Amino acid sequence: MAEDRKEILRMEHITKQFGYVYANRDVNLSVLEGEVHTLLGENGAGKSTLMNILFGLYQPTEGNIFVRGQKVRIESPSQAVKLGIGMVHQHFMLVEAMTVFENIILGDARSKGIFIDQNARRREIKELSEKYGLDADLDQPITELAVGAQQRVEILKALYRGCDILVLDEPTAALTDQETEGLFEIIKKLKGEGKSVIFISHKMREVLRISDRVTILRAGQTVETLNINDVTGEQLANKMIGRELKSSQYSKTDGNGEDAAVLDHVSYHRNFKHNGLNDVSLKVRHGEIVGIAGVDGNGQSQLAMLMTGNIAPEEGSMDLKKSKVVRFDPSGFIEQNVAHIPEDRNKAGLVGNMSVADNLVLKITKDKRFSDGNGLRLKKKAIHNYALQMQKKYDIRCSSVDQEARNLSGGNQQKIILARELEAAPDLLIAVHPTRGLDIGAARFIHDAIVKERDAGCGVLLISADFDEILEVSDRILVMFEGKIMGEFSGKNPPIEEISLAMAGK
Amino acid sequence: MGSFIANLILASVRMASPLIFLSLAELYSQRAGLVNIGIEGIAAIGSLTGFLVSLVTGSPLLGVLAGALAGILVNMIFAYATITLCAEQIVYGMAINIFAPALAAFIYRVYFGSGSALVQADLMITLKSALGIKSNHFLVNLFLDQTPMVYFAFILVVLTAVYFSRTKSGLNYKAVGEYPKAAATLGINVIGIRYLACVICGALAGIGGAYLTTCYSRTYVDGNVAGRGFIALAAVIFGRWSPAGVLIACLFFGFCDALQIRLQLVNNTLPYQFFQMIPYAATILVLALIGAKKAGPKACGQPYRKEEH
Repeated sequence: MAEDRKEILRMEHITKQFGYVYANRDVNLSVLEGEVHTLLGENGAGKSTLMNILFGLYQPTEGNIFVRGQKVRIESPSQAVKLGIGMVHQHFMLVEAMTVFENIILGDARSKGIFIDQNARRREIKELSEKYGLDADLDQPITELAVGAQQRVEILKALYRGCDILVLDEPTAALTDQETEGLFEIIKKLKGEGKSVIFISHKMREVLRISDRVTILRAGQTVETLNINDVTGEQLANKMIGRELKSSQYSKTDGNGEDAAVLDHVSYHRNFKHNGLNDVSLKVRHGEIVGIAGVDGNGQSQLAMLMTGNIAPEEGSMDLKKSKVVRFDPSGFIEQNVAHIPEDRNKAGLVGNMSVADNLVLKITKDKRFSDGNGLRLKKKAIHNYALQMQKKYDIRCSSVDQEARNLSGGNQQKIILARELEAAPDLLIAVHPTRGLDIGAARFIHDAIVKERDAGCGVLLISADFDEILEVSDRILVMFEGKIMGEFSGKNPPIEEISLAMAGK
Repeated sequence: MGSFIANLILASVRMASPLIFLSLAELYSQRAGLVNIGIEGIAAIGSLTGFLVSLVTGSPLLGVLAGALAGILVNMIFAYATITLCAEQIVYGMAINIFAPALAAFIYRVYFGSGSALVQADLMITLKSALGIKSNHFLVNLFLDQTPMVYFAFILVVLTAVYFSRTKSGLNYKAVGEYPKAAATLGINVIGIRYLACVICGALAGIGGAYLTTCYSRTYVDGNVAGRGFIALAAVIFGRWSPAGVLIACLFFGFCDALQIRLQLVNNTLPYQFFQMIPYAATILVLALIGAKKAGPKACGQPYRKEEH
């Protein structure tokens, strides 16, 4: 069906270098009129870079762009808009201090005159939103909108500027399932109107459902472009990560090791349903993974902070390796060999402005290997060599270990944290959303590492809002709801129905 | 007592005017995401330039224009460093505060030599004297016995309010201060607007300084800006980054300033320094009371780089 359609966009031999790193290398992309074309690839495969080039935010080092057969140079977003290209960025480009209406008309050059022509603009926007089913309350401030609604505003913004090619950069990453359904309806309507949609994603299920064709990117290069009817999800996944995925099941254990950590009737801000703990008792034994399932914001963050010594319980007590914890402070817990993969890797996990190497040794600078005099003088050379070793062992992809950590992709940042936390062979590991926002390959790597740590005798508490992840690796599953533990389930053949009900508080 | 209050109100308006210029300068800067704490320094240069040009040409109006020009020139240092080179805004604002008043003092010494008696220039004439009205009624004094600069200051507040709330250009301008990257994706020229902000800011701060030597006092003395550039910073925060709020804040601080002078005159038991303290103490008090909730433009203080990834 695609063959008889006209090509609307062609990107040829696009190369983009940042310093010594190639974000894109000789990438080719061809998009037809009225198709949904997916760009599939792992995090850091160069999808967003390619689209930022198309949208005029980056200038390609080499390569040509053709729109409707005409060779073009796109030097700024306004030029891209003139060519009919619209983009919804992964991180929304919405001014929070303004209303929906103001955000849509920002930068509008379609009417002369100094003042904002409220009535005419509103009429146009209303027409558009009705045509595509993008309902939006124009006078609401952006801060009051849910993520899905913000995304609709972004799409409206692009349509308002008259786009024929709409780029959606990981549009489903932050959406609930329902919101995703809504988005797919909109995409179908756009397609029906003859618009082309470039859909960026690494969620296989969605890709298979919504796309007409798929172009796979790997490590900054195009692998190939395929008709969606000609491939299976498994084939796509393998082409995306460039190797075969192992079968998904890890072996589960019964966990009859010694207690690594015990919480006994612990409460913290008991009355705060969404960020407190209410009479929580649980046990993590050596050599088992305890999964905490539950919808985000039911006290999981507080549980993690408490079990890493960042907050102290108001009631109840905690035992670490069979002795009662008297003082709750992070350094004491680190001395007790408790490792922590924090929920927000940028805010709590890494110091973004420091190098990969420095981040790797943050917790162990006092070690004789890395400093003299208890951290007084750092042995730079030893740290560098250690970092190279870790880079290899944990497959941290960076141009150099002296690169700033914030410039790495999410998966590689998480691997730095993993290396730092797991190298000490912890007795207890508290891992919070360890694979959030990561692609399949990186998530797989992290799961492998966690399971390996379990097999080495570490007790693991895995907190995740991703139910599949919990089912995949947990030996025992606890469900949290409004600060309480709702039930305990085996990780072997887990009763999915029951767990789902418990997650909803039933 | 009646005349005490009348005089107090008249003086408040006069004292508020330079603050309005300086605060609007800061407002335009922050609305584009640039925190410029160098207003004090720019005003010092504007003050001296205004005085010299007014003295030489005999026209206070030319003095004000020259003050604006000088302010723009000085602020271009800040603009280039913070916008093009992405340098820390606070550091460069501070640098201007150190450099500009010293430069003003230096030029003054070079021009007049040290130790010379105070030279005086003409003040701008008020509307009342221009029209030849003799009445001394309070309302006549309030509305007519003012220099054109006072009217200009108040009109500017209205224009600014309309600009930011009603015009397309004003909306784009605000977006640059809130989320420059988003503004750029909508085809708004972020760098251009930030430079424009520095031109407006420099001009207004220069005018605010020149006001002091062309409408308020006949001569230039070192330190005559007397912290007004910093009070302007407080006024912008106190005014919640809105022109109307800034106006109220300036009237309040102007009132404090007027009050302290009046109190000095009627009281002779307390040392006068005690009263001089009032505007500054009020500033600290106001900031302490409302400082907790920050609501300014989101991108304030952050440099904008084009190809950041």
